[in-house]
Amino acid sequence: MIELEDIEKTYTRPGAAPVHALAGVSLHIASGEFVAIVGTSGSGKSTLMNIIGTLDQPTAGRYRFERTDVAQLDVAAQARFRNRHLGFVFQAFHLLPRASALENVELPLLYSGNEPPAGAGRRALEAVGLADRLHHKPTELSGGQQQRVAIARALVNEPTLLLADEPTGNLDPKSADDILDLFEALNRNGRTVILVTHDQRVAARARRVIRIDAGRVASDEVRDFAHTAAREETR
Amino acid sequence: MSPSRLLRDSLRSLRRHRLRSASIMIGSLVGVAALTFVLDVGQGLRRKMLTTVQQIFGDSSVVVVAGGMQLVDGPRPDAARLTIDDIAAAAAAVPAVVDWDPQQVQIVSVRCAGNTATARVLGQSERAGKVWARTVSRGRFFDAADVQRRERVALIGETLVRDLFAGADPLGAEIMVDAVPFTVVGVLERFGTDLHGMDRDNEIVVPVSTLMRRLANVDTISVAKLLIGDPAQNAAAAAQIREALRSRHALLQGQPDDFTLLTPSEVRQLLGKMQRIVTVYLPLASVVVLLVAGLIAATLMAGAVNARVAEIGVRRAIGACPADIARQFVAESAFTMLGGGLLGILLGSAAAQLVARRLDLGAVLSLRVALLGLALALVTGLLAGVVPALRAARLRPVDALR
Repeated sequence: MIELEDIEKTYTRPGAAPVHALAGVSLHIASGEFVAIVGTSGSGKSTLMNIIGTLDQPTAGRYRFERTDVAQLDVAAQARFRNRHLGFVFQAFHLLPRASALENVELPLLYSGNEPPAGAGRRALEAVGLADRLHHKPTELSGGQQQRVAIARALVNEPTLLLADEPTGNLDPKSADDILDLFEALNRNGRTVILVTHDQRVAARARRVIRIDAGRVASDEVRDFAHTAAREETR
Repeated sequence: MSPSRLLRDSLRSLRRHRLRSASIMIGSLVGVAALTFVLDVGQGLRRKMLTTVQQIFGDSSVVVVAGGMQLVDGPRPDAARLTIDDIAAAAAAVPAVVDWDPQQVQIVSVRCAGNTATARVLGQSERAGKVWARTVSRGRFFDAADVQRRERVALIGETLVRDLFAGADPLGAEIMVDAVPFTVVGVLERFGTDLHGMDRDNEIVVPVSTLMRRLANVDTISVAKLLIGDPAQNAAAAAQIREALRSRHALLQGQPDDFTLLTPSEVRQLLGKMQRIVTVYLPLASVVVLLVAGLIAATLMAGAVNARVAEIGVRRAIGACPADIARQFVAESAFTMLGGGLLGILLGSAAAQLVARRLDLGAVLSLRVALLGLALALVTGLLAGVVPALRAARLRPVDALR
């Protein structure tokens, strides 16, 4: 699904030495995987995530998504690509504060080309267990519930890839666990999930853990059986 | 994004930011209301001025006012020595004059059978009906003999018929004008209000001789109107009348006139200057108000972009391209200004209607003015949205989401 070849991202600022946020990252991620990208802050993991999400452009290298060279697309085409294939979940939820849960979830439908199927937003909220909170404002919801609204928003266009950047960073352990359960369930239903975290316990829930250090892939392990044990540990 | 989705999304966004929307709308409302008001009332006033000039001057005439120039408040009470004989002599000296009428004015209280009113009494000659083109709708005009004998006969306007007689037939009734009894012999044709908003139906017309002797006790008149047979000779006739009057008043060369001549073309010119204030400068001032409203809208929209950076980032992440973001903010600004403009048209039209009724301007509401107001509000809104929108569209999603 995702092929990254020698991805580099260099920030240059006048009067300062260039910063190599990514110094040649090559990765293949297959459809249906549950991947955690881990690393310390400043390691480049968020930059990698942004490039996979086409929110940022690599300075060098090739990024193909299902054989499309998405880094070469123009901004409008990239926007369409994100709308159709990607769902984003952020640490800070990023819900529109004055809009209802349903309005927030339906936001991506605004930018999809054809008329969305009726009730898509409602179904997405039902899928994350918030059928009874359709018209609540974010301020009327708990952190865990807000993040579930954000996940429903990410799911409403039926994307193939879910990108989550520290999705549990602002949540208490119980809510965090619920959210990770939800990601697992979504992954079991065939969605590819990539989450970025610095939290080992969160990473332990993923089947594959890619560690980024100083802009390079430091390790890449598939831990198919380990994650169940790790899960017991977090409890 | 389709236009209908853009509209829906913008309206939702406006609802979510009520305070900002209201602030922008108020600016637009005030600007468009002012514009609608001054254009509507201006048009009405302009029409009214032309009608009034036509009413006063007819096709061709010269009006002589005692004393210096005073267009706005009518004849001066302390007018200098302008007499009926002066006008008669001038009329005799200028062959182009076909007819003439002197006029003296006084404000009086009128009583009849327990009802009291305050009215304007005009003393005029028997030729007034023809010269001022206002005769009686009922009864008879007084004649030369009445004027000669200073008869106490009166023509009254419809407002007085209503106020003194409660609409009953006034002909033959006796009314007390100040302390002098008059017999009502006719009812004046309806006139309406004049340029100053004065009710010209709250008037009494009596023989000028009677007024001068019995009511005002003066030897002079305040105004006279001389009809000129041929409109082409109006200017020449006015000059001849001036010379005749100057020589009767024994004015030396270099001394100013102690009377004022008004001709239709001069008055139109003068009114044209006043009109320009109403039809050019006031609308310009309203447009400036609208521009200021646009600047406020632009500032508020810029603030909105700053406050909604995260929203912009999310929208980009979920599939908005920069153009979608730009369109969103332009649409929000435009719709808010348009909404304010719509309310402004309602307010301005209502105010114009109210003033028009007070000044008796007739129908003043104009669809063209309303559309102009809306178009200006829309354009201002679009322009106000452009700069903030471009800034919003230029935000990089990574930066916006940080």
